Amino acid sequence: MEELITAILSASVALSTPILFSSLGEIYDERAGVLNMGLEGIMALSALVSLWTAYTTGSFLLGVLAAIFVGALVAVLHSFATVKVGVNQLISGLLIFTLADSIANFSYRRIAATVVPTVQPLKPLDIPFLSQIPIIGPFLFQQNILLYISIILALAMGYILYNTTWGLSIRSVGENPMAADAAGINVNRIRHICVIISGIMAGLGGASMTLGYLGLYQGGIVAGRGWIAIVVVIFSRWSPYRAIIGSWVFGLGFSIAANLIGTGVGIPYYLLLMIPYIMALLLILFFHRGTRPPSSLTVPYSRK
Amino acid sequence: MHLSREKYVSYIAGLLVSLTIFSGILLTFGYSPILSLQSIAYGAFGSIYSVSETLVRVPPLLLSALAFLVGFKARFYNIGIEGQIYMGALATYLVSTQLASLPSFISITLMALAAFAGGTAWLAVPLFMRIKLQLNELFPTLVMNFIAVLVISWLTTGPIKDPNANNPQTQAIPSSEWLPILIPGTRLHIGVLFAIALSLVVFLIIYKTVLGFEIRASGLSPRAAQQGGVSLSRSVAAVGLLSGGLAGLAGMFEVAGASHLLAQGFSPGFGYQGIGIAALGSFHPIGALFASFLYSILQIGGETMQRGAGVPIEMIFILQATIVLSVLVVQRLVSGRR
Repeated sequence: MEELITAILSASVALSTPILFSSLGEIYDERAGVLNMGLEGIMALSALVSLWTAYTTGSFLLGVLAAIFVGALVAVLHSFATVKVGVNQLISGLLIFTLADSIANFSYRRIAATVVPTVQPLKPLDIPFLSQIPIIGPFLFQQNILLYISIILALAMGYILYNTTWGLSIRSVGENPMAADAAGINVNRIRHICVIISGIMAGLGGASMTLGYLGLYQGGIVAGRGWIAIVVVIFSRWSPYRAIIGSWVFGLGFSIAANLIGTGVGIPYYLLLMIPYIMALLLILFFHRGTRPPSSLTVPYSRK
Repeated sequence: MHLSREKYVSYIAGLLVSLTIFSGILLTFGYSPILSLQSIAYGAFGSIYSVSETLVRVPPLLLSALAFLVGFKARFYNIGIEGQIYMGALATYLVSTQLASLPSFISITLMALAAFAGGTAWLAVPLFMRIKLQLNELFPTLVMNFIAVLVISWLTTGPIKDPNANNPQTQAIPSSEWLPILIPGTRLHIGVLFAIALSLVVFLIIYKTVLGFEIRASGLSPRAAQQGGVSLSRSVAAVGLLSGGLAGLAGMFEVAGASHLLAQGFSPGFGYQGIGIAALGSFHPIGALFASFLYSILQIGGETMQRGAGVPIEMIFILQATIVLSVLVVQRLVSGRR
């Protein structure tokens, strides 16, 4: 039993990393007033790109950078369509999802015709002494470097959002763009930047799946984590700090499902896979009080 | 549907832009764009059978688009259509197993009612959350999709699996419950006509009834509508019921019309494609009718393209998304200039 709990907890952290990366970007994006529903597709594409780059060059760092680049590139398209031109954000985001996801699957089919790229996933960094503590050790102190990066980014992004002028600008653009504009803030520039941040972070999210623990790509490997990241944004009430807990809760859901499948409990496989989604639904249902999205979310801005 | 000059311009420009991108990608990967387009056209129109296959693909796409756009009119964004299609299909199958002895007219009517109810039931929780708890429907509807797909996967691999089939699917439903075939030797079933008729019905409801007026008013300007005595909850409830029901019927047409059984993962994302189709058709039921034909031509033709020109089918999804996105962008650019 202790073994199972250790396994569940330890995997929960790894599985939450992609969700955390992506939800952090989405928080910035939505705080500035833009919804990006394309995360799932961006994650798929950057998962493939990072794997392919790491496989061909042998460098994980290049893999991560390539994922960031591709994520930003797709986000530029969304930001052009929604912020610059004013296309409906929901529709544009869903089209971006289809586009990025299909490009990923198309490319993978081309690649896999000659070779199936795989890499050895990142090894966990053992933090001396602390990693030896039973249960807690493997849970918190035996994870790969991407996890630690995601936590540091969450703290840094939370600090920037709440304690700097920069963060204040982002929040004011999302809450009251007209007032922000009057105060001399370039509303649409902030929005472009935040959309690109969401792409970069989803890129990291994708890379953290293939390089962090999977080591391979398959159509549909993101398995809803991009959508879940958007639920995490609501559940954490648009706070990067709370997103750490929020994404871990879902990582736990995925981890429980994955670990119970191996143990032969009497529950059918497909029902176990439902756990994180049912959790998502229940969490929204019970924790919706006080959740209020940024006032100008999904409303394009132009001086009239 | 009246098309303004700007709309014409945006459709033509959008198509040209996306075809250019499409050809560019194909050339980059060493495929011939001309050959690919030819095999799409051949696959969609080359014979009576391929035309019938193109038409058979229309109902699920069109009904998904209608399901999304009725909600869109009242600012209710139902992106859970995929799940509602599966639940409509499940309801159809479950009812079909009980009705073998009834005349087909009655059993098909009952199946349609069950499918409508099944789709609506799957939307009930998100709808309740929206109306009673003022919770945005985007994520509840979306998350319900994942659950629906898993429910169907579980049932078709276990409890209702056809024991003699290798694939995860149920037994065929009794032939007395199949939707009548229009052209013998093809799969072209009467559901195609029903789907087209339903787009007219949706048009009439939205543009020619008081309820439709209230729905559009709640979407265009919720505050003004409320002050004018329109109940927003009533509008949202109405579009929600209609939207889930239309999605459920899409599931029924697939089970009772196209495949005559319920299979795991039978929908290649109809529910999501419907959103693109609705947007391409400018959120108008008749526009959706034309857009769903285009999507269907590309998909059925795309399967031939995959076999004939060796271009993976994903290229079609890329093309579809590019078309819709370019049309929307050009539309905004053109109308913004005035």
